[in-house]
Amino acid sequence: MADKERFLDIFRHMILIRRFEEAVFDFHEQKLFGGHYHLYIGQEATGAAVMASLGDNDRIFSTHRNHGHLIARGVDPKNALAEILNRADGTNGGRGGTFHLADASVGMPHTSALVGGAVPLAAGAGFAAKLQKSGGIGVSMFGDGCFEEGVVFETLNLARMWELPVIFVCENNTPGAVLKSAGGNNTSNLPEGRVMQIPQALGMECHEVDGGDADAVDLLFADCAARVRETGQPVFIEALTERWPGNYFSFPSMVTGVTRVSMAWDGGSISGEYEDWFREHDPVLRFARQLIVGGVATFGDIAGIDVEVTETIEAAKEFALSSPLPGTDSVHSHVLAGEG
Amino acid sequence: MTVMTHSEALVEAIRECMDEDPNVALVWGSLMGVGGNNDHVQHIKTDFADRIFHPPISEAAIAAIATGAAMDGVRTIFPMGTASFMFRAWDQIIHEAGAAHYMSNGAVSVPAVFHVVHGLRGGGSVQHSQSPQSMLWNAPGIEIAMPSCPADAKGLMRTAIKSNNPTVFIDHQKLNKRSGEVPDGPYDIPFGVADVKREGKDVTIVAASLQVVHALEAAEALAENGIEPEIVDLRSLVPLDEGAILRSVGKTGRLLVVDEAPPRCSVASEIVATVAEKGMDLLKTPPVRLNRMPVHVPANVALEDFVGPNTDRIIEVVKQLCD
Repeated sequence: MADKERFLDIFRHMILIRRFEEAVFDFHEQKLFGGHYHLYIGQEATGAAVMASLGDNDRIFSTHRNHGHLIARGVDPKNALAEILNRADGTNGGRGGTFHLADASVGMPHTSALVGGAVPLAAGAGFAAKLQKSGGIGVSMFGDGCFEEGVVFETLNLARMWELPVIFVCENNTPGAVLKSAGGNNTSNLPEGRVMQIPQALGMECHEVDGGDADAVDLLFADCAARVRETGQPVFIEALTERWPGNYFSFPSMVTGVTRVSMAWDGGSISGEYEDWFREHDPVLRFARQLIVGGVATFGDIAGIDVEVTETIEAAKEFALSSPLPGTDSVHSHVLAGEG
Repeated sequence: MTVMTHSEALVEAIRECMDEDPNVALVWGSLMGVGGNNDHVQHIKTDFADRIFHPPISEAAIAAIATGAAMDGVRTIFPMGTASFMFRAWDQIIHEAGAAHYMSNGAVSVPAVFHVVHGLRGGGSVQHSQSPQSMLWNAPGIEIAMPSCPADAKGLMRTAIKSNNPTVFIDHQKLNKRSGEVPDGPYDIPFGVADVKREGKDVTIVAASLQVVHALEAAEALAENGIEPEIVDLRSLVPLDEGAILRSVGKTGRLLVVDEAPPRCSVASEIVATVAEKGMDLLKTPPVRLNRMPVHVPANVALEDFVGPNTDRIIEVVKQLCD
């Protein structure tokens, strides 16, 4: 672990995402926003490590499970939480909601909640970068379920044919899931449970990585991003992440409780039904252990970051709750550009 | 003025815009079916090679790529061919291109052009004859242009390319090879400005695209019978020039709308409803819609002609309306 600041920054974003998502769950339990929603818990390592290698000219397109991607990219949690509550100070002025958090000012112009929707849009960003010679790349963050949609195949083919600078990051969160055929929920229906063979068949450069290992994702993605910038050719990454047990159900459930970061060093405090999750899989705890063992951070550093991040989220909650609802007169604005 | 075909006028507009703006890109396709011996086609091919992309048959992904690129200011023209094919990209055009500006609260815009060729083409059968304009009109956030002649095609295409909104540019297979005079040099025709293609006093015929041609032919015959129709060419559905329609109806007191979409929730229905709401007192007689029949389009050209609006049927309906 050579670059201490980089690792601490990735960790800070991971724990920030975790605390953010715990707040979102809490808001939903309080019925402060309605409808379906998706949490990024268990996938923090991938989102935070990917964003660490991206710059101002890069564009990222995300999905219904977008919260973590925006937080990792540096969107203020205040505005992101306000958006989830559909308030006027939200990233989208309250009209996007949990499904569509986006912020063009950080290069995340549009988030599609339609399965597979983000994949060609990111290729479009690569198309623009190629034409404008901006040096940027397009990045699509998406789940394995997207391979059930035909447009994803079309996009991979086009990215190869048109030589678009795009990185497709498939966060495969089926490992550990209870399959639909076994009565489970919300996971993909693919005969192999894997997706990398498809871009491989198109001759695309492909990699797989342990998506729960922030260090491994960072190492791989940094290398791929540098190569895509240089060659302009697309790359596919399958990040395999163990499914968070709270995602076994149709709605998220906080079965693993509010995360205690002390579990990273106090193994004796871990017990119960989800012991395996805490010891082997939870990416926040895994990375905390790596940082401690690698001499990058002490227990105290980790706990200190958590306190700081928790305060940030508390302030964001207050901000979001006090933000006004958009007025009904606003519904007519921005249907078409140029109409105000 | 130069005489050229509808398709040649479109290619000229595309060439001019590519000359003017390095951010205009083109998905090649068949480039409006204009052959390689056209000067503009040659110019585009040689001078803008790095902005031309040859497509596989992947309407959905290309529509979304054009959309994603538009968010960064690249203005992609995507000729999708037969309008029936755009259903393959319905999700991308309606939910991504058409929604991004609204969903971002105005922060993002999508300047992309989706060019399609609609309508009864002579043997297109069920899956190559769609007229998607009324379905599209039900989706917020998309501009819709429908020219009827080469001069309008050029000016409207230039506006479509420069617009910061996603535009569906709807042409007609039977217009492509029709010739007309086109003003020399660059000019834009704004959306939302209908054009009175023929002045008249007895009945207003509202139409767009090929049906304007049919209405003009019908008007010649009707004039010989002492009926003078006024023909309002909408040119764009979004935005719609309501004022021009109401002004004409105010003058004639009678309204016929001709439309190739099937009647329920069609363009004709919308125009009639608009006049009923805002100009009922202007009407001397009940308004009439002339649509494609609410059936699929048979391959047999005689049956195809039977189900669609055409010059003879316009004449017949107008005679009844003015009786």
